[in-house]
Amino acid sequence: MTRNEFLSMLADELKKNRITDIDDIVSEYEQHFAFKMADGFSEEEIAAKLGKPDVLASQFESAGEVRKRGGRKAATIMGLCIVDIFAGAFFILLMAWEVIMAVFSLCNAVIAVCLFSGISPWSLIPTIPSWPGIVFGLSLASLSVLSAAGCIYFAAFIRQLMRSYSRFHQNTIAAASGSALLPSLAINPRLPAKTNRRIRSVALISLAMFTAFFVLGMIISMIMSGTLEFWHAWGWFGY
Amino acid sequence: MNIQYKKGVLELCVLSLLKKRDCYGYEISEYLSDHIDIADGTVYPILRKLKKEGLLSTYMQEESGGPPRKYYSLTNLGRETYEKERAEYLYFAEKVEILLEDDVNDKE
Repeated sequence: MTRNEFLSMLADELKKNRITDIDDIVSEYEQHFAFKMADGFSEEEIAAKLGKPDVLASQFESAGEVRKRGGRKAATIMGLCIVDIFAGAFFILLMAWEVIMAVFSLCNAVIAVCLFSGISPWSLIPTIPSWPGIVFGLSLASLSVLSAAGCIYFAAFIRQLMRSYSRFHQNTIAAASGSALLPSLAINPRLPAKTNRRIRSVALISLAMFTAFFVLGMIISMIMSGTLEFWHAWGWFGY
Repeated sequence: MNIQYKKGVLELCVLSLLKKRDCYGYEISEYLSDHIDIADGTVYPILRKLKKEGLLSTYMQEESGGPPRKYYSLTNLGRETYEKERAEYLYFAEKVEILLEDDVNDKE
């Protein structure tokens, strides 16, 4: 291969690989030829020692050269935008569920306080003797704690899911533009073992208390009203 | 030897040469191919990558009786990176040697 053949093949291959600044690269190889020829080597010898132009051109690509605009990167970003729309909707759904759980927990707490104190704001709490009222209040307070624990864990889960997704996002763009990747993140929240244990025991205890007090409340109500369907006896639903 | 395998080490060799003094591309290519068996052209993609990563900078200098030459010089980032990677490589090579020597002992 002569000098000109080598240089034009190299330029073609670089163009094929969408490498920018081809002239600058080719001029380095021109200089290499100039130096070697001054030392008395033939064009063929120099070209052979340089290596194959296509192999060299591919090394420029793997060396993290930025591809020209409109290449793989643009397609990747467009694809990511579509994925983002779905993922975004999904995250809104998850956060809505988080809000529902928080409101549920808060409502239970408020009703429990009303039952303890015997206050019935705007007569919303149906008539109930104070004894079973307190037992039902304890049951609802436990349910409130249970759903609060659920809320905390779920919030940690959403947070981790979003972090993991944004890492995926970063890495996809980085891969398309040829820069270094960061390690991917797991979806499960990595809470400290102590926190994990605490949440679990709070959830279990509150679940057990909710069930126990609920059943106890039902039994006391049935005994006090003298009927299985005590809600009819106390006229809860107006009939 | 596998080219991908050599490439990371070649980067380190280029940095070590440039730590001593600024060089132009051909000088670096000659220096490397004197010591290591690689195609002469391989060094230019490496120089370009290192420049892109900000480890090297270039400047043109007139030479008597010839076109201006493009000199490569180590940046501060390049110097720091070199020191760090040099230490890492030496440590790594030492461990690999222990493992490979171990292999010979096992066979005996």
